[in-house]
Amino acid sequence: MRLAAWSRGLRRAATSAALWRGLAGIGLFLVVWEAASLVKLPFLRHVPAPHIVLQSVVETIQTSAYWSAVYISAKRVAMGYVIGVLLGVPIGLAFGVSRLFKDTFFPVFETLRPIPPLAWVPLSILFWPTMEMTVVSVIFLGSFFTVVINVLGGVETLDIRYVRAAVSMGATSWQVFWKVVVPATSPSIFIGAAIAMGLTWEIVVAAEMVSSIGSGQTGLGAMMWQAYVGGVIPLIITAMISIGLAGLLFSALIWQIGAYATRWRRVT
Amino acid sequence: MVLGFALVLAAWHLMTAVLEVPMFKKITPPAVVLREWFKPDPFFGVSVYTPLYYSHIAYSVYRAYTAFALAVLLGVPLGILIGWNRTFREFTFPLVETLRPIPPLAWVPLAILMLPGTEPPVIFVTFIAAFFATVLNTLLGVQSIDRSYFRAAECLGFTRRDILVHVVVPGAMPHVFIGLQIAMGLSWVALVAGEMIAGKRGLGYMIYDAYSMVQIPTIIMGMLTLGLLGYFSSALVRYVGRRLMAWRAF
Repeated sequence: MRLAAWSRGLRRAATSAALWRGLAGIGLFLVVWEAASLVKLPFLRHVPAPHIVLQSVVETIQTSAYWSAVYISAKRVAMGYVIGVLLGVPIGLAFGVSRLFKDTFFPVFETLRPIPPLAWVPLSILFWPTMEMTVVSVIFLGSFFTVVINVLGGVETLDIRYVRAAVSMGATSWQVFWKVVVPATSPSIFIGAAIAMGLTWEIVVAAEMVSSIGSGQTGLGAMMWQAYVGGVIPLIITAMISIGLAGLLFSALIWQIGAYATRWRRVT
Repeated sequence: MVLGFALVLAAWHLMTAVLEVPMFKKITPPAVVLREWFKPDPFFGVSVYTPLYYSHIAYSVYRAYTAFALAVLLGVPLGILIGWNRTFREFTFPLVETLRPIPPLAWVPLAILMLPGTEPPVIFVTFIAAFFATVLNTLLGVQSIDRSYFRAAECLGFTRRDILVHVVVPGAMPHVFIGLQIAMGLSWVALVAGEMIAGKRGLGYMIYDAYSMVQIPTIIMGMLTLGLLGYFSSALVRYVGRRLMAWRAF
């Protein structure tokens, strides 16, 4: 039964014009790239052709150094991100429900928020004893500010009538918070979490590039920077693709968790 | 508000100057940063009285705004085309979605190799950051237009071009400006990283340079300056958006 539905879905996908057109678009891009490096366009003279990149990808993914770089970057992202979400959600909720807390600390928060995460790197290096903590803390900052601002936005768009209804039926403020505010905000929490995840891979790459000197463990960003310094250009592109894919996988995971946690929103 | 700032500054002062907590021993107290920032003859060479400070700011602003302008000029039309024309969408959108997950910063080494000089790579990386956010939000804007507007326009005998000019473009505007605000924020993020890695001037470079010379007040000055510039840039985009969409009551 399920198998039949599966194969029907596959067949429909394989015969859909949209899929083939999409593939054609990507294919055309690769062909133009290959042709451009074949005729040696001046600004592409350092950029290897797609088939060389493919070769490099195949070679690289067989080395253990590559997988350890993936693991190190992923671990840093996961740690900074989880801390960012765990602190960001309660603080965003607190901004939303407490006028006093918001009036006191929101201006400070808004002053610090526009400072790009990367601008924190030098200070973090001086502050934290190890490079590992530096990278994790910068990732934390990037995800923290994004989560807080989205959670706060979620609380603020909450329909006040829900709160009034709950209060008039005798709910305590504790109940209003847990039974009304938190569930109503959960879609915003997950959207914020997903956006923050998109940022973290960007930050880990940059932080690893900036602080790669003297860092004991080599993540994907540092691997890419070493490839650049060593002039191994296919490896640079391999690293770019890996980072893109890793970011995509992590984001998909967050969307899945979000869709599951707020499954009451699904129409069917 | 005043209390919040006072508390944070007091905590900062307490940690660094009074208690001298080991972790904070390298961080300078707020008073030292402020004194350096507003001193006519700064100890580390950069303050509001030195031309160097403004030259760093001018470089960063120039790069951020050039990249942002390019992203708007290319990203908005592309987003509208992808949203408006189905065939175009089916051919190009998967490609956009394939390139989009690559973080802008990951383009830095390739950008340095591909583009000549020191300015184009930094601007290119910043552009990439702003571009995808602009395209995606513009597309979202076109897709969020109520279908009945299209039907109404067709009933009134609009051509496809009229629909594009009178329905699609104005209809997508609110989302476009949300996208532009996000793009502006992202371009400052990418700019700083780009300048740290590849720049010779600009605030990101100033911070990094100050870091390698262990000039901590200058680092913090640079961070706060960036915060202010980022904040005003976003406010500017919001202001322009409000002026252009006067029909929407904000």
